Amino acid sequence: MTNDLLTVEECAVCDGGRLFVAPTSARDLVALEGSVHGGPNMLPAEHDVLPALAAALLDAGTLKRSKAAIREALAARGITIGFAASGDRTYFSGQCFPEDLEALLAALCECLSGAAFPEGEVANVKALSLGSLAEEKSDTRAQAERALAAHLYDPTHVNYARPVQDEERSVRLATRTDLLEFKKGLGVGGLVIAIAGDVTSASARAAVEKTFGKLGKGTTSVPVKHSNTKLPTAGESVISIADKANVDVLLGVALPLTMYDERYHAMKVLVEMLGGGFTSHLMQTIRERDGLTYGVYARLAGLESGADGSFKIWASFSPGRYAESVAKLREEVARFFARGLTPTALTLSKERMAGLYLVSLSTTQNLASALHSVGVQGRELAYLTAYPDLIRAVSIADLKRAAAMIPLDKLSLVAAGTL
Amino acid sequence: MARTETLSKAGVPGITFVRELGGIQEYRLEKNGLQILLIPDPASPVAGVMVTYRVGSRNEAIGHTGATHLLEHLMFKGSKHFNKKNKRTTFELLENKGARVNATTWFDRTNYYEVLPREHVAVALALEADRMQNAFITEADRASEMPIVRNEFEIGENNPSEALDKQLWAIAYQAHPYHHSVIGWRSDIEQVSIERLQQFYKDFYRPDNATVSVAGGFDTKEVLTHIKKSFGVHARPKAPLPPVYTTEPKQEGERRVVVRRAGHTNVVAIAHKIPEATHADMPALLLLSLVLSEGKTSRLFRAFADTSKATDVTAVCYQLRDPGLFTSFVTLAPQVSHDSVEKGLKEIFSDVAGRGVTAAELGRAKQSVRSHVASRRDGPFALLYNLNEEIAVSDWTRFLTFPEALAKVTPREVQAVAKKYLVEDQSTVGHFIGTAL
Repeated sequence: MTNDLLTVEECAVCDGGRLFVAPTSARDLVALEGSVHGGPNMLPAEHDVLPALAAALLDAGTLKRSKAAIREALAARGITIGFAASGDRTYFSGQCFPEDLEALLAALCECLSGAAFPEGEVANVKALSLGSLAEEKSDTRAQAERALAAHLYDPTHVNYARPVQDEERSVRLATRTDLLEFKKGLGVGGLVIAIAGDVTSASARAAVEKTFGKLGKGTTSVPVKHSNTKLPTAGESVISIADKANVDVLLGVALPLTMYDERYHAMKVLVEMLGGGFTSHLMQTIRERDGLTYGVYARLAGLESGADGSFKIWASFSPGRYAESVAKLREEVARFFARGLTPTALTLSKERMAGLYLVSLSTTQNLASALHSVGVQGRELAYLTAYPDLIRAVSIADLKRAAAMIPLDKLSLVAAGTL
Repeated sequence: MARTETLSKAGVPGITFVRELGGIQEYRLEKNGLQILLIPDPASPVAGVMVTYRVGSRNEAIGHTGATHLLEHLMFKGSKHFNKKNKRTTFELLENKGARVNATTWFDRTNYYEVLPREHVAVALALEADRMQNAFITEADRASEMPIVRNEFEIGENNPSEALDKQLWAIAYQAHPYHHSVIGWRSDIEQVSIERLQQFYKDFYRPDNATVSVAGGFDTKEVLTHIKKSFGVHARPKAPLPPVYTTEPKQEGERRVVVRRAGHTNVVAIAHKIPEATHADMPALLLLSLVLSEGKTSRLFRAFADTSKATDVTAVCYQLRDPGLFTSFVTLAPQVSHDSVEKGLKEIFSDVAGRGVTAAELGRAKQSVRSHVASRRDGPFALLYNLNEEIAVSDWTRFLTFPEALAKVTPREVQAVAKKYLVEDQSTVGHFIGTAL
């Protein structure tokens, strides 16, 4: 483990919040990742765009200051802040110099609690959101992702993706009143903050208590996730988009698996072996042996808010070799599950994942992100250092149990491009 | 630190200590002229190794555009002592130990790197040394890798801004090799001969054209010993490096390009000619780019994103070895015309040139620089990558001196470079027009 991990401390803050502080060897740099309850999962589908719109507006004027005053004051001190929303949460992040941590936290709190959502700003963010959704219609990867999510999940599941046109309608209908109502739910409920870099635990804790301590209670619980009721079916669909030189392909299936399932770590290893890096089965065959793709990766998705997610493979293919490429992809996926779960391959993947984890934590930003994830997932701080051992503990039997969850004859394929 | 102290610390015959600045130690392998940079962080369990070659798409010409990048791919196909046959490839030996292994190609340089648990540094160095001169570079590997690189090209073509960017450079440059993008033209990727790639490898992959940098957790003496043992087998080449002697002719008027493709994305871009990275005007130009597009207080964000005219704005001041471009991109919101945004962009340039920037704007830009300077040392990869960019355009000490130069820039100097370089006669305007799907 990195020496920086040895100095991580966790403190309870703000009546139930979790604060992680990781002083590192980085100088003149403090990175912060945080979140509170308040995301699209908590709203009816027709209003699920509100958290993202609100996130885009949180720094666009508060009860105390104008948009320009907030943004100029932050920029003058070299402070950057950002907001986003997905799943159960509204996320915030920031970077600052060591002397400005309290100012950074105060600005985040001012935005979370005091955002005024001026009418003009609401109209602007709605217009930009509609612009981004319009661009998405000719984005091959985005279109494939949306179509696969719609195919895999029932419409009431948190991972279901509505058609772009539905989302556009919701954006058009969103009002300032809706946004103010949504913001009422943002407080210290579900608070998780991770701060890493040129910082001390004592100063960080004091600054968090001083600033976030003033926030309201917010939303204390998150909705219970119901399991996907849609049965897997082997579909294949093509989304035609003209003038595209590359085809984005997704092959996947929803899984009855959450990140708290005992098979979770084995599934992580399995997916890594199949398509986790250059040495994975798919990269070694579809790319290195057959030259059919620049990139082919497997991953787990949709597990972030504790829901049951999916297993999916992404690949990029040339339109002229599409049929051959897809056939080979399916063939190699089948071959991997039939013959690839060997002790040697497992050992290599586990070693790789453990090493890569160590390497990934060698930056302040990544360390803050990892700590924040630990908090959001409701895990103990010890998980940060125990993770490599959990990976190393996966056995062949575990791997086969995980593999048995994936119905290979029911993988759905979506391709988007000029076909 | 005193020179004698470092010399005695290193204590590896055949490797000469050159200097130490800002915690970065420079050495030279006497036998062949290899430059070595060490940035030790003894307590870290992670280290990074990067080899930077001073060769990029700048060194290509018509018929073999993209050769540097294709060659970069072939460098992973094996070398004399590290290959598939003996099961000692980069990926088997390093990625399987958790290393982040990759390579990147740019206008002026190519790099190969490994960020990895510190105990594997010696293997990374041995592998890099072997492929510096003993890579196979075979026709069979070219034939199998070409479709992969072509697919990488195709992925880029799916992105409207990237497609427009290629056209912008191609119109802005007529003679100089910055004319073509780093990935090259499709037909060259498909048809460049293995003999051309082998010659390219022979011409540029040599110790006196490379820098080996190691950052993070390692023992200095051990690493220098490994470097001497592995890279020291290579002789100093007698032939001079092939020069790039083409100079871009003076531009004498605005140039324009239109790309029409199906889709909902519309982009306006304007590129202006600027000098090389080492030019005295570069600090002010970089700060100008930050004033124009860094964050939500920037001029372009306020003019276009804050008024519902654009979903994205960027300005990039390219710092290259030869005179480069200062590009501004605006991705249009629906119903916004290209002409209105082009006009708005030109008005902003004109305003900066005529009225200058405020002290507050410049202050914000300098704070952003301070933040960037701190981030450059956050982990071995960031450190090596940023050093590598300085090596590509001049020498690594610019990593330290350039921020000092930025700190001294005044509002008047920013205005002066805007007036000097953001001029219509030196510009290339591009429109990406989305047509019906």
